[in-house]
Amino acid sequence: MSEARVWPAEADLDLGWMKQRGEWGMKATPSKQGLTLADIQIGSYGDPVDRSDNQTGRPRGAAARPNSYRIGGYAVVNKSEIWLENASFLYEEALQRQWSSATDVPWHTIKPLRDDIEQAQCQLATFLTEVEFVAGDVPARWISNTTPDYFEPRQCLLAQVMDESRHMDVFRKRALANGGGLMLTSGGTAGVVGSIDLARDFTEMSSRLHISGEGAVLTIFRMGELMAYNDAEKAIYRLCAQDEARHVAFGVMHMRYMHETAPERHEEIQCYLDEAERQILAGSQNPAGNQTDASEALAILLGGGKDKYDDGLNKLLAIRKRQVQEYIKRVRSTGFGARFDNGRSQLTEMLNQAAA
Amino acid sequence: MTEKTAAKPAASSDRPVDPMADRPAPNLKWMGITHQWGTRVKPGKHGLRLGDLNVGIYGEVPAVWNDQTRNPRGAVARRGIPPVGYAIRDKADLWADSAADMYEEAIQRRWAPAVDVPWASIAPLPDAVEQAVCQVMTELSQYANVDVEAVTHWQHQMAYGYHEVKQYLATVSFDAARHMEVFRKRALCNGGGLGLEGPGEVNRMILESRGGWTETVLYLFLMRGLFTQTLLRYLEQHAHNHAERAIYTNCIEDKARHLTYGIDHLWYAINHQNDQKLIVNQLCIIGERILVRELKDPVLREALAIIFAGGIEHASGKGIATYEQMLGDFVRRYLDTLKWLGVERTILFPPELAGYVGKGAR
Ligand SMILES: [Fe+2]
Ligand SMILES: [Fe+2]
Repeated sequence: MSEARVWPAEADLDLGWMKQRGEWGMKATPSKQGLTLADIQIGSYGDPVDRSDNQTGRPRGAAARPNSYRIGGYAVVNKSEIWLENASFLYEEALQRQWSSATDVPWHTIKPLRDDIEQAQCQLATFLTEVEFVAGDVPARWISNTTPDYFEPRQCLLAQVMDESRHMDVFRKRALANGGGLMLTSGGTAGVVGSIDLARDFTEMSSRLHISGEGAVLTIFRMGELMAYNDAEKAIYRLCAQDEARHVAFGVMHMRYMHETAPERHEEIQCYLDEAERQILAGSQNPAGNQTDASEALAILLGGGKDKYDDGLNKLLAIRKRQVQEYIKRVRSTGFGARFDNGRSQLTEMLNQAAA
Repeated sequence: MTEKTAAKPAASSDRPVDPMADRPAPNLKWMGITHQWGTRVKPGKHGLRLGDLNVGIYGEVPAVWNDQTRNPRGAVARRGIPPVGYAIRDKADLWADSAADMYEEAIQRRWAPAVDVPWASIAPLPDAVEQAVCQVMTELSQYANVDVEAVTHWQHQMAYGYHEVKQYLATVSFDAARHMEVFRKRALCNGGGLGLEGPGEVNRMILESRGGWTETVLYLFLMRGLFTQTLLRYLEQHAHNHAERAIYTNCIEDKARHLTYGIDHLWYAINHQNDQKLIVNQLCIIGERILVRELKDPVLREALAIIFAGGIEHASGKGIATYEQMLGDFVRRYLDTLKWLGVERTILFPPELAGYVGKGAR
């Protein structure tokens, strides 16, 4: 059909909108990693305000309509509450390093294991399936409560929800792949005061989720070689560790920003760290914490069987020590490290005693 | 098979525990506790997929999931655990049989705007066209923001027993994050910037649809989602360079998955709940009127018309005509989809939308 179309008579256009726009003349250019979020931080677009009054959900830097509905209902409207300096980088990295639990884990390398080992593996996998999506549920809720003016941290949290979704499923897959099954739930993620779920302040939540909770899990995943019995398990721990490292980095960088920009909140943050430290050791969300079903399972895996429980426990205590050391290092890097020198934190003393 | 066991404290000792040195003897009471042992799911041609795990009791998805803890489906629950507080506990309120497959598909088809869009192919456009593109990008970025906020508002309220849906929705909000980002990137890379924020009528409707996730699904995926997907198809046909084409093609694919889940869920809800079909019909009546109000706003219409006509000169003729064809495509798909769901939109269907049905029909 090549017949010329007959168009309707010209209608009047308004075109008034062409005079209403954000800063113009932007020419973001791709860097070595492509056109990244960092590359579009140009002109006024790269500069979020310290306090956002954007309740209509408009993209940061767009021209506002005076008659827009205030539909956002955002609770997080202060930059210091959620900001971090390297969010763009973490988000782009998350995008580039997505993986698939269906195809990036060599499932065929899993071969039948001794019953006690398979049970320990399944108990640990049950625990991880249970706790992984705490870090999906909770960030999700904060995303919808945060103004899009701070979209860079929100993008990181969205990537985290995706990552945790994969973690939740990769451990379910492991539990059901080798003649075992799911075992006993821990109940450690219950909705009790001081839990990650119930925090009503973002930094409070982040200190528990990203810094103490995921920090502890990161240490374990990084030592995955010690508890893996095949290449599939090694791949699972390695890939999860990659993701967790980003989540922990988010928390550390945010707390650092908070330290630098909100001195009036320092004492309050120290209280959250007091709580976080009690929880690292309590073990309800840390499989290398004090004696729980998950820590027993971990000890069996580390030792190489129920009959080598003592060997496993030695390794578990070493992991626990490393968790604490890494936690201290992270908190120091945020600027809140004085607590380890002035006697407020018990952790340094515990480490010293253990060394003696 | 073992039933629920009572909660036990984390450590069972009267003296203070030295967490760095104590070596309690194991109690190993968890050993042997399972509802089903001997499960050996093998990877298939496409790897080990989420849906493959639904064997034996692990694949039993009950109509109601009252457990408000994070007890994984099929694991042995503990008794006495304080609830986390999940509001959506009925399968009919969130389920779609395709969720597990869509989840894996989303992961396989992941893309990264930074590197999967050939940004270097973008060259300067006439001023009016660039501004029109930037205006459309602004509104699309805001749409994607609504996707993000709507999904993340509901996701954490969904019971753990329906993990496939929770997990699938993680891919949806992540897709939306990418859309927000890629439209913003396009607006800021070619001498333009962001334009005027959208009118927000439909955004408001989606964000205020708090009667249940099904209502949000109708507005977010079916009404807005279908509209956006149709718009993206027309943009793809009028792309100015490879970069724009890549952006629209990738987004259209993502939107297709969202739509699949949306339609699948609405079908499930309508077929498992009394009155749901009537409720959907009622919600359509409300939603269509709001959409009509939003369509009266000239900004998106004119910006698209400029893109479709290649400039202002023919925007009011060819441009608007193409825009109306686009709306015709949208309205027909919208009505067809609802019809497939068993919802015949005859009562109070707005004449403003009905008028587009014949536009551009092939
Ligand atoms: Fe995780
Ligand atoms: Fe994590």
